[in-house]
Amino acid sequence: MSPVETEQPSTSTGTRRTNRREFLVVSGGSLAAVSLWGLSACGDDDDGGTGEVLMNFSPDLKQIVPGQVDAYNNQHPDGEVSTRTTPADTTEAFDQFRTQFQGGGSDIDVIMGDIIWPPQFAANGWIASLDDRFTESDREAFIPGVVEGNTYEDSVYGVPWFTDAGYLYMRSDLLEDAGYSEPPATWDELMEMARKIQQDAGIPNGFVFTGAQYEGGTVLGIEFIRTHGGDVLDGDTVIVDSPEAIAGLTTQQTLVADGIAPDAVANYEEDQASGAFLRGDSVFMRMWPYAYDFLGDKELSNLDVDQVELAPLPVAEGIEPVNVGGGFNFFLNAEAADPDAAYSFIEYMTAAEQQKTMALEGGYLPTRTELYDDEEIIEAVPGVRLGREIVPTTTTPPVSPYYSDMSLAMSEAYNANILGSMSPEEAAATIAEDLQTIIEKGG
Amino acid sequence: MAGALGRPRGARRSGLGWGFYLSAGALVLLSLAPILWVLKMSIVPRAELFASPPPLLPQELTGASYATIFDDPTFVRGLLNSAIIAGSTTIACLVLGAPAAYAFARLRFRFRTAIMTAILALAFFPAAAVIAPLFIEFRAVGLLNTFWAVIITDTVFVLPLTVWILTAFFRQLPRDLEDAARVDGATTLQAFRLVVLPLAAPGVAAAAIIAFIVTWNEFLFANTFLFDSSTWPATVAIPNFATTHTVDYGAQAAAALVITVPIAIVVLAFQRRIVQGLTAGALKG
Amino acid sequence: MSTRPDSAASLGLSWARDRGARGIARLTGGGSRSDERRTAGLMISPPVVLIVAVAFFPVAYSWYMSLHDSSVTGVGEWVGFDNYAELFEDPDFTRALLNTTVFTAVSVALELTFGLAIALGLNQAFRGRALVRTSVLLPWAFPVVVSALMWRLMLQDDVGVVAYLVNSLELADAPILSQQSSLLIAAIGVDVWKTTPFMALLLLAGLQTLPRDVVEAAMVDGAGPVRRLFSVTLPLLKPTILVALLFRTLEAWGVYDLFWVMTDRQLDSLSTYTYEGVRISQLEFATGTAAAVFTFFAALAIALVFIRLLGTRTAEE
Repeated sequence: MSPVETEQPSTSTGTRRTNRREFLVVSGGSLAAVSLWGLSACGDDDDGGTGEVLMNFSPDLKQIVPGQVDAYNNQHPDGEVSTRTTPADTTEAFDQFRTQFQGGGSDIDVIMGDIIWPPQFAANGWIASLDDRFTESDREAFIPGVVEGNTYEDSVYGVPWFTDAGYLYMRSDLLEDAGYSEPPATWDELMEMARKIQQDAGIPNGFVFTGAQYEGGTVLGIEFIRTHGGDVLDGDTVIVDSPEAIAGLTTQQTLVADGIAPDAVANYEEDQASGAFLRGDSVFMRMWPYAYDFLGDKELSNLDVDQVELAPLPVAEGIEPVNVGGGFNFFLNAEAADPDAAYSFIEYMTAAEQQKTMALEGGYLPTRTELYDDEEIIEAVPGVRLGREIVPTTTTPPVSPYYSDMSLAMSEAYNANILGSMSPEEAAATIAEDLQTIIEKGG
Repeated sequence: MAGALGRPRGARRSGLGWGFYLSAGALVLLSLAPILWVLKMSIVPRAELFASPPPLLPQELTGASYATIFDDPTFVRGLLNSAIIAGSTTIACLVLGAPAAYAFARLRFRFRTAIMTAILALAFFPAAAVIAPLFIEFRAVGLLNTFWAVIITDTVFVLPLTVWILTAFFRQLPRDLEDAARVDGATTLQAFRLVVLPLAAPGVAAAAIIAFIVTWNEFLFANTFLFDSSTWPATVAIPNFATTHTVDYGAQAAAALVITVPIAIVVLAFQRRIVQGLTAGALKG
Repeated sequence: MSTRPDSAASLGLSWARDRGARGIARLTGGGSRSDERRTAGLMISPPVVLIVAVAFFPVAYSWYMSLHDSSVTGVGEWVGFDNYAELFEDPDFTRALLNTTVFTAVSVALELTFGLAIALGLNQAFRGRALVRTSVLLPWAFPVVVSALMWRLMLQDDVGVVAYLVNSLELADAPILSQQSSLLIAAIGVDVWKTTPFMALLLLAGLQTLPRDVVEAAMVDGAGPVRRLFSVTLPLLKPTILVALLFRTLEAWGVYDLFWVMTDRQLDSLSTYTYEGVRISQLEFATGTAAAVFTFFAALAIALVFIRLLGTRTAEE
């Protein structure tokens, strides 16, 4: 009688151990395979050491900026400036930075961002004050309104790079046919001209602008208010509930209600508004200067250069010309490893020569006032040539660390105003209430 | 029984009249029309995109949009990155999900239903709210800006679906072979490995393809955890066919099609497998 | 060391050894073989551990934060359920809740109906079936983010083809993208277009597992196709339908990309509201977290309901 081998698995310790080992081998092997893949796909570790600087820019600058960065690196062989692309949409880019900062910090030393960022970043200590580096005399070379936009609680946090302003685009050919030789100086004039031309020439729209519920819509709403002499905030005081502001909102609503602006303007972002104008479907448009470059290009527009003129935005009687713009600036990360190297790079990028290149090659509006007298630039950049009076009158959106919340509240109210679901008085009151709540909550 | 068999078959055939084919045709049209429109968007110039009223047929053709996207190294690299991320996630989901699914399908243990419910529910927490804490977590372990962060997160969110598909699949398999193996002395794990897995190909294929597609199209996590444009998958690269003020709709349309084509091919090639995998498998009947 | 395991003593010995086994076997109750229980533990733990590590922490942390006056920088002081009270007083939130509920209910109902019809159709062999199957699956393969953008362009007044059709048929008197109601309808439409294929796929799979003999028996009994559908096919399909519903409902409940991109933030869902509070706004962080937790628990409740319905079926197996 030979001994019976125990084959029953449930009583054999040996078999159980084999199972566990087998399992671990199999799963360990798979995890190892996956980790090899993952490791091989690691992103670059861009933490700057001494002299290394990381900056970001958005994709539309990729024709110009890398060249300038290379030139700088050639001049400064001991420091290396490297770059990273950030989302084209400024709110998205802001989101990314905020998430990074909230998560512990961003590794980007030189932050390129929108004019509305400084208070929100500075209030949290994420960007460094530039008072000592960007001296008083330095600042004088730049457009005052933009420098102010970069100032928060009496400290300046950003160096202006290029700016944007709100222009009035006009169909000069249509105006001429209708017998008008001057651009409209007041909103009433614009409405009158638009109505006439819409009727006589059969143009569907009189005036198009960006009225969708997004940052651009907020900018437009503020602009309507300011061109009527009102404003939204004065420091920490909410002043939007004023007759001037209400007048501005009334104009905005009347434009739509009277059919001068299409109902759909409540969904218009830049593409839709400029699309309508460039198609030939509107007499006037409020837009940033970039759209001017599309004229004459058959693929992008039905209109030619000689059909369109730029002018300052109309204002209410007796009000000084004003518009609301943005523009992009450089900020210094508070935790930059080598702030001196970072700032010297900022100085380079905002120097007159580089700004001139930006203007000539990309049509970007410089922030150094002297460049507005530069012959070459005047020649090449329509925004400068035709808008030399406009850019200095540019103001920026309210400076506040809670601007995101404010913009959310405002864009909703402005949109309701355009749609007619709120009266201008109601809209102004709602904004006032919301902003007051935000300021109180923010403390 | 011949008569009984003959009648139902005939009755079935007569149901597929012209009404059926008409509806089928309408269905194909409805499904494809928007995609065809996107195709049109990718081959016409920008002015036509903003033409009013929109012309039905392309008036002018241009390859500019496709040139734009293939000239963009970020997008081209993005296709590779998408493949890496989706592939890794799929493998991870299968490796982790198949054993678990088998356990849910065949084995009895306490808290089984509770654990299943928890797995399902946890994955449906609104992704938007999980971003910030996850960001902190990954930063703490130094996984930010690596594929790992995205792969891990995607795996966690795709696992429930994978587990469910595989559980249903395993449940359908007849127990005979496994029981036979048990009688022969195999442990549960051996039964799983040697008997069930070889039969699992259709189910695994189905789960794999679905996991791949879902991850291939994922955007939010990749957008948040990856900073370097060289690590972006294609879905994240697409919105950057834009400038601060304008959107290159033509390029985005072209990119969308280019992203979808590989998936479409995979689906077309494996459609029978997909359906088969979601059903009983080889031992049916 | 007895080699004859069928003796009572050795059985008792091995049983005792099993009971003494460490670790995951503790999870299981008495009854089945310990090998099965331990293996189950081994097989379940990797995914469970991963999910707990990756998903549990944020969920728990969000829950914790929602009970405090939290902000992006810190947790702040305890406020109990104040954030939730504030949440329900916010008209934006109640509107988001309403939108999400309507969206979920309607799109899932439509997707189930159409999906079932398509599945039934595809379950039969006919010429061109492969073409139909592929073209029906394509919308699902399109990434949501981009397709939402394309759809928005198609819905734009003046330039969008869908808007053009709608206006020509005089179905709307205001731009589609301007009204909450038409935006919701559009969102539901796009979601149905995109996700019905997935439902159809799941249901088709279920149809193909139906025991043929039962269906054929019904046919022999002389039941017409409609009666067959309702008395035989659908009841047999119940578990598949319930699981498909479970997944789709939970997914629809968390809708975010579609609303955010296609309606350009004009239409709020629970998730877009959460996103705004937690990622964009500076001051609404606490209420945003509360919204996230609410969404989660609501989803959990939905899941429990479906699983309860399913559980009765599982027990039968």
